[in-house]
Amino acid sequence: MTVTESRPEATRPIGEPVLEASGVTMRFGGLLAVNDVNLTVREGEIVGLIGPNGAGKTTFFNCLTGLYKPTSGQVRFAGVPRKAPKAPKVKKGESLDLEAVPVQELAALTPLPPKPRAVVRAGMARTFQNIRLFANMTALENVMVGRYCRTSAGALTSVLRGPKFRREEEATRARAQELLDFVGLGKSTEHLARNMPYGDQRRLEIARALATDPKLILLDEPTAGMNPQETRQAMDLIFKIRDSGLSVVVIEHDMRFIFNLCDRVLCLVQGQALIEGTPDEVQSDPRVIEAYIGTGEDDDEDAPQDAVPDSTPGEEKP
Amino acid sequence: MTDVKTPVPEATDAPAAKPERPIAWPLGIAGVVLLVVGSFLSWSYDGQILNDLSINFYPGGLQILTLIGAVLSLVLLLAEKGPMTRLGAWLDATLGIRTLGAGLSLYMVLILVAIGTESDGLINVNPGGYISLVGALLIAVSGWLLPLRQLRDMSEARLPGGIEILTIAVLMAAVLFAAAYALGLQDAWSFILCLVFIAVIATALFRTGTMTFVSHVGQRHKKVLTLAAFVVAFLFPFTQNGSDANMSIANQVLIFGATAMGLNIVVGLAGLLDLGYIAFLGAGSYTAAVLSNSAFATVGWKPPFLVVMLVGAAVSATLGLIIGTPTLRVSGDYLAIVTLGFGEIFRFSMGNLDGNNGPNLTNGPNGIPGIPDLQIGGFNFGDEHSLAGIELGRFSNYYFLLLILIGFVILVFARLNNSRIGRGWVAIREDEKAAEAMGVNVFGLKILAFAVGAFLAGLAGTIKAHQDAAVSPDQYQFIESAFLLAAIVLGGMGTIAGVLLGATILKLLPEKLRFFSEYRLLMFGLLLVLMMRFRPEGLVASRRRQLEFHEEDEELAVEVEEQRLAVGEAQ
Repeated sequence: MTVTESRPEATRPIGEPVLEASGVTMRFGGLLAVNDVNLTVREGEIVGLIGPNGAGKTTFFNCLTGLYKPTSGQVRFAGVPRKAPKAPKVKKGESLDLEAVPVQELAALTPLPPKPRAVVRAGMARTFQNIRLFANMTALENVMVGRYCRTSAGALTSVLRGPKFRREEEATRARAQELLDFVGLGKSTEHLARNMPYGDQRRLEIARALATDPKLILLDEPTAGMNPQETRQAMDLIFKIRDSGLSVVVIEHDMRFIFNLCDRVLCLVQGQALIEGTPDEVQSDPRVIEAYIGTGEDDDEDAPQDAVPDSTPGEEKP
Repeated sequence: MTDVKTPVPEATDAPAAKPERPIAWPLGIAGVVLLVVGSFLSWSYDGQILNDLSINFYPGGLQILTLIGAVLSLVLLLAEKGPMTRLGAWLDATLGIRTLGAGLSLYMVLILVAIGTESDGLINVNPGGYISLVGALLIAVSGWLLPLRQLRDMSEARLPGGIEILTIAVLMAAVLFAAAYALGLQDAWSFILCLVFIAVIATALFRTGTMTFVSHVGQRHKKVLTLAAFVVAFLFPFTQNGSDANMSIANQVLIFGATAMGLNIVVGLAGLLDLGYIAFLGAGSYTAAVLSNSAFATVGWKPPFLVVMLVGAAVSATLGLIIGTPTLRVSGDYLAIVTLGFGEIFRFSMGNLDGNNGPNLTNGPNGIPGIPDLQIGGFNFGDEHSLAGIELGRFSNYYFLLLILIGFVILVFARLNNSRIGRGWVAIREDEKAAEAMGVNVFGLKILAFAVGAFLAGLAGTIKAHQDAAVSPDQYQFIESAFLLAAIVLGGMGTIAGVLLGATILKLLPEKLRFFSEYRLLMFGLLLVLMMRFRPEGLVASRRRQLEFHEEDEELAVEVEEQRLAVGEAQ
């Protein structure tokens, strides 16, 4: 039995590897949170990261983005070169989506230093599991903060306010507005982040991450707490991001969402990679089912009632 | 799931409007009449106290203030009912009358107490004083009997552009006049009474919503407002007739204010607590002193003053970097302790570099006295000048220089705040981890705040050395850092007007109320405790800071948002 619906065509060429994490291990004292996990993400690919609570998914994200320094292992990334070439002028005819997220040439894979700022500069951006917006800033200001690492006005320029400063400020504002339109928040520009509805906050966080001009975007449970309609919108948004040439890694508990969305899925259990493969492979693997809902054989009490086929809610149905 | 959108309870309906008592309005008018009549009569038997309130039909200063209060009450009463009801649709006249009535009553009671204590007992109060008190009380009673009314939204209020600018001009002129008048009062009771009166009028203006209108006007004509404020500050020395006493206080306020604005970058914008900030002012002062022509200066190099300013500021900024680089990795209370220690280290070092322990740079505890007045080009800051028949003394010369300095400091503050860097600082204050994950250079921005703040304080310090004509280590004690921080907290972190207001209050009051100096710290402690309890965001609140202090207040958030939108539409 499968939950996969008519999947959008996946015939787009999957490009070169963007991210290559090999042997990433994170140890907190005696706890082995992430153990020797490998992950390769190619250009224009959506990769899902699943696993029961406490499997180490978010820790793995933190290792990738430099918030944690992995105990061992290496993260290599084909990032934006330090001096990004000017984005080519977009012609009239092209659609807004392509315009909003310009694609840049890939560089060779290089090791990433475990510093969040360097990671963002190289072109990897993320969102957080529990929303971490700048609550007392407006939506536009939030996205403008995301532009920080791609702008360069220093203290002296800011005080002198030359034409270059004004041009850059204008461009930052325009780009932020463009991204808000892209995620569908074009009308909420001046709203304070803390006053926005939950779903909009999630999307604003994505817009803020997109503002850093990433090659790869890591989404940590982007649909947590959303209703089915909002989930569908989130899925459309992620496809839109992918179609504009970015790679996406998604952590999610909603299996229907993951298997409809992703090209490949990696399942983590207790810090270890259990299986990596296409959605079909992963959802038919007995070990994944076991990890999520138990076997029902060796631990009777733990096997929940809803392990019975056909009565399982979609979320736990393999 | 944390749903941030909680339903806001419907605003409770206003309690059923009290039926209007027909007596209320005539009562108010009677109160105004009594207040006026009383003010023209003698208040005190003793003509020596409070600038002579003893002559019938020749009102003294405090009586004229009462008359102003009476006129304002009359205007509000007429706005309530009568020829000015159109004004009443916008202004909350009832609240204004209540405030004015209560405030004027307090003012009159204080005057009677003052007469009683300055001469021998209340026997010296003449009938005029009591008549005015009754008048003030009647106004208060009438205010409480008048019903509250529905008002129109002030953000829609528009006047022709010219008249709006005129409003700003009139208000600024009133500020200048009030400042000159209050500073001209010599005895403490008159000064306190005058302050009480100004506070009452200001509160009444806020309660009626006049100030809301003014702030909307100010947002529409920002440049005019800034210019007007500087013109007022510029004109201030011309109101002093060459008196050095007040100009010296004004200079201290300006130096204190400029330093506080520098600290405001560190505390208000970047959100770092610095308890040793006075050391940066000291570094600038000492640099200017050792490079000056003083006989006690220890360095042979005597560059022109502009160079000295830059060197002093650079020394100060370097100290900022030296102290900041290792310590900014700690945050919060730890940073406060480290900076506190740094401030003390600076003071002790200056006290010890006397040739016995280390090189003779600062003459130790004696400091460097006899710093000559500034000489820029052919202009000597010690000379007196007269412009259009008005004497401008030595302090006035420094005043103008300091005015330029504070203008520069405000410019730097405002422009940094409203730029990529300012946004980075806000992001760091809001959520440091998220800011870092979005590529904001957290450490660099913190260091930058420290260095820029130190640079500006150093600039102020170089002028201070020449203005004071001497530097010594005891000028830079911890308590001065604490006062700088208090000025920011009191006035409103991250704001310009607030910090200047806080600096003025904290410098001016101790200077004018010398007899009070033993209780100074006690009073400031009390003041700060009360502020933290009732208005933690400061007298003039930055909207964002206000939100940060009231995390739970959804209504406030919506209100702020609406105001921003209103401003956005107006532009």
